[in-house]
Amino acid sequence: MQLDAFRAALDAWLDEHQHDLVPDHAGVGSLDEQMAHLSKVKRLAFDAGWMRWGWPEAVGGLGGSTLLRAYLGEALTARDLVEPGIYSMTEVLAPTMIDYAPAELAAAMVPRLLRGDETWCQGFSEPDTGSNLASLSCRAARTDAGWRVTGQKVWTSLAQYSQRCVLLTRTGTPESAHKGITALFVDMDSPGITVRPIETMHGAPEFSEVFFDGVLVPFDRTLGEEGQGWSVAMDLLPFERSTALWHRAAYLHRRLEQLLGAAPAGSLDAADLGEVTQILYAFRARSRATQHRLDAGERLGPETSIDKVLVATAEQAVYDLVADALPAAVTIGDDPASERWRTGFLYSRAATIYGGSAEIQRNIIARRLLDLGNDR
Amino acid sequence: MIDGADLELFTRSLRHATDSSTGAALDAALDDLGWPDALADDPRAAVSILFGLQGGANATSSALDHVLLAALAPLTPFAPLELGGSPVAPATAIPPASNPLELGGNPVAPATAIPPSSGVGVGAGVGVVLPALGGWHPPGDLRGGRLAVAGLGTAGLAHRATAIVVARAGDKTVAVAVPTASLTLRAVQGVDPELGLIEVTADGLIVAVDPDADPLTGWTNAVALAQVALGHELVGASRTMLDLARIHALERVQFGRPISAFQAVRHRLAETLVAIEMAEALLDAAWLDQSPQTAAMAKALAGRGARTAARHCQQVLAGIGFTTEHPLHRYVRRILVLDQLYGAAQSLTAALGTELIATRQLPPLLPL
Repeated sequence: MQLDAFRAALDAWLDEHQHDLVPDHAGVGSLDEQMAHLSKVKRLAFDAGWMRWGWPEAVGGLGGSTLLRAYLGEALTARDLVEPGIYSMTEVLAPTMIDYAPAELAAAMVPRLLRGDETWCQGFSEPDTGSNLASLSCRAARTDAGWRVTGQKVWTSLAQYSQRCVLLTRTGTPESAHKGITALFVDMDSPGITVRPIETMHGAPEFSEVFFDGVLVPFDRTLGEEGQGWSVAMDLLPFERSTALWHRAAYLHRRLEQLLGAAPAGSLDAADLGEVTQILYAFRARSRATQHRLDAGERLGPETSIDKVLVATAEQAVYDLVADALPAAVTIGDDPASERWRTGFLYSRAATIYGGSAEIQRNIIARRLLDLGNDR
Repeated sequence: MIDGADLELFTRSLRHATDSSTGAALDAALDDLGWPDALADDPRAAVSILFGLQGGANATSSALDHVLLAALAPLTPFAPLELGGSPVAPATAIPPASNPLELGGNPVAPATAIPPSSGVGVGAGVGVVLPALGGWHPPGDLRGGRLAVAGLGTAGLAHRATAIVVARAGDKTVAVAVPTASLTLRAVQGVDPELGLIEVTADGLIVAVDPDADPLTGWTNAVALAQVALGHELVGASRTMLDLARIHALERVQFGRPISAFQAVRHRLAETLVAIEMAEALLDAAWLDQSPQTAAMAKALAGRGARTAARHCQQVLAGIGFTTEHPLHRYVRRILVLDQLYGAAQSLTAALGTELIATRQLPPLLPL
């Protein structure tokens, strides 16, 4: 299917099913409510075929350009039908499964994610491993029965809702750095896994600590080869910095549009508003170009760090403007609309932290794009 | 469309021209290379590549006059040039200016008549008066048959017989062709003498304008094209500043290692690249969506990005970058002026915000 035809048909379907697709909860809703609603939207969109376009037929998709799924996420976000952060997890994890899981495993599992039957999480960060991902220490030991995993992950988004986890483990020596990492696909109901959600500043326990105590993972759940985990991670990150960001652009455009509608006369500074709009439109133009490169079959790499810097810059700029123009909503309002502005503002503070901090992105730009050599 | 091997050759030839010549010599080289024809065939390639290279080489040319004349057709053999390059029907005829013009009531030399679609272009002695510093409104103001002009011109204007002045006339916008000799020209030294900018003024210039002449509709388009062209030039200059700072950072050793190893330096340069790519993304979008609002946003980001690039690169180059022994100063000077042509970042941004507050409507989105 071509993008124009897809766009027209999807828009018509969304208009027609608007009633079934809008969230029941007022305002931002609890994370439980958001997750339940997300599953419902994904199921309806999958059963109607929309959620399957742009994914390979081998994993239950209908084929076609990746632009189709970029537009689906944009349309759902622009209509406020899904929260883009939790929706876009699919865009990050499904491509990894398609590229690295044994074919039959990918074929069995990816449709469950697309249809919203399951939620997956990404076990990367650890208490002592934040920006320096290659130092991770969660251990997977080879036994006759399979991998035995022992260790701890943290900042694992949606772990308490997840049936599966794409987990990075240390299978080499502690000194093996990026060479001794192996990626596993772990069932979250395996014995020995404990999940402790962490309450966040913006009110949703979006991420968790995850403890692994001798968890058995079959060898056929290895993603790629033993020791190939760094490649898995490096290939996953550009996805985290591409389609998910296109959805985020739609979300930020929607919020800025709503701010223009909600801001009382005299509350918006013209120069600030002009600059925020320029930044947001430039981010969106950059992200659009990245989507078209992805569609053309280009391999995305370190240049997506520019996209990531721009999304964080744009998100914080939009919400700084919100805080200036709607101070009561952000600080003292207790109605659903205020709660939504406040939640968005608080969450935007994390935009320069998650998914590779602003500093890490600039390090990547300096080393990989400007070829400035090593930093020590 | 110029593409594939042709595009590569075109780019290489233009790079040679901008690297080895500037001013009138570059104009001659552009004519030899057929750049004016390329402008008609593939405006996007012609404008984005040439202006990027010109900015990168710190060169000057009359290319901006070509772009403006093409956009304000039918002064030229081209159909009016749109951002997207699709020719549209000629917008307006230039009001007849063939009667003797009078300056302050005294007879002056007859104005040159501009026969529509007669092949008149920059090479044939026509230049365009640019808006006043910082602004993007027409440089002329026509009241009761008298023309006041407050604008700028590129270096070649003094050598052109005729200057096109776009003017406000009541609620209409008109284009008037006047003898360049009837305008007061001041060769600007300023912060960037090598740019050769000219300040153009006139007051009470008597011009005969047909009151029934069609209003000029090409002005908005001409402004958008000029903004995008200047945006590419600013991006080109910014990229060169980044290159200069990068090379210095890799070569300069302090504390026993190249300063490129220090994160404070690396992050300044990374920040510069982000600012450049941000402007470039919106410039590309302007060619695709052909929206004057996108063009204005892109020009603002290119201007602001160039100021950011200048700040970071000058800091990384430190002492040597503050001298005239190193080329950086030429770019720092150039971008200060280019930012002010056809709308400065500051004024364009404030105007955008004011418009959004008034309409409560964001600019249209370029679809995926």
